[in-house]
Amino acid sequence: MKVTVFGFEDCPFCQKTKRFLQARGVEYEVRDIELDEEAAAECKRISGDLAVPVTTIDGKNYVVGFDKRKIEELLASA
Amino acid sequence: MKERLHKDVVIIGAGMAGLTAALYCGRMNLDTLVLENGIIGGQIANATDIENYPGFVSVKGGDLISTVQTQAENFGAVIDEFDEIEKVTLKTSPKIIETQEKIYEADVVIIASGMNRRKLPLPEEKKFAGRGVHYCELCDGHAYDGKIIAVMGGGNAAVDAANFLTKYAKKLYLIHRSEFRADEVSQKRLRANDKVTIMLQTEIKALRGDKRLEEVEIFDKKSGETKTLAIDGIFVNIGVEPNTALFKDELTLTASGRISAGEDCRTEIDGVFAAGDVREKEIRQLTTAASDGTTAALLAEKYLAKLKG
Repeated sequence: MKVTVFGFEDCPFCQKTKRFLQARGVEYEVRDIELDEEAAAECKRISGDLAVPVTTIDGKNYVVGFDKRKIEELLASA
Repeated sequence: MKERLHKDVVIIGAGMAGLTAALYCGRMNLDTLVLENGIIGGQIANATDIENYPGFVSVKGGDLISTVQTQAENFGAVIDEFDEIEKVTLKTSPKIIETQEKIYEADVVIIASGMNRRKLPLPEEKKFAGRGVHYCELCDGHAYDGKIIAVMGGGNAAVDAANFLTKYAKKLYLIHRSEFRADEVSQKRLRANDKVTIMLQTEIKALRGDKRLEEVEIFDKKSGETKTLAIDGIFVNIGVEPNTALFKDELTLTASGRISAGEDCRTEIDGVFAAGDVREKEIRQLTTAASDGTTAALLAEKYLAKLKG
């Protein structure tokens, strides 16, 4: 399972999402949609928008924003 | 069965007031827990350039709050930003804070739960929330690079938000139903930007769009005219509401929904303090939030010393 968080550095909820995954011991990759155009395009392809954070597993199922329960469900579904 | 833990002090809210209280409590060797349901820093986490906090010419809200968080944690305060509070019981001794995962017994509770932005009072708000209607410029502004943005509101937060969003917008409207209340310095900066059109005495009457916001209907109160503006995203800054729903059965709230407590931050319940924007007071600034946090922590320590004899 590959967990990816799309976001950018100054985004408070992106930071919270990353801290949450760290606290749960989940390994994840960060893709910065401000610095990386490909990441922005990929984020838009997955969620249809540029609202972040987007937490996704293998680019399929995803959660927009920081929602603890939904992220836990996403992780449990993998 | 939830785990039961005892704490000297539980601080509810990790904005400037709560983290300052945590820093002081930590320095006094009090066993201190901070619970935060939203984001660490609260409103200030989204502030882009703070120019009125002494000691800094200009500082990002996130950077400032991150430093205060480090200070608090270095002195032993523990911050939990994931375990949400379900219920508080303040009139007992000890006081009980029940979260999703634990039950905390606390000798002192410092309420520093701050404020949330007021939602746009239009029936279409729900349809467009996150799809053209936003409440966090720092989080969502980037999605409107090269697009048409509106900011709704006329206070400092609205004008600062508008100034920040000009870096993305190809065109920005500031729409406010009355006159500016923002500082002259911020107003001047906004007025000097060619991308900006300021529409005072103007109300937003309706939001329209298929899947996302596409246009807004506005009403010019001076001319009596109704117009339609093409807008990709609107950032709402029409004031804030206190986060006091958890305490409404425990403490007397004021007409504005805040907690009644004097400059000593003491509430009507012994050992319960209110600090920062959630406390009813005339001036609500970052500096006064830090001041409240300090006062609450120092008086909490005195209360605890008396309690423990």
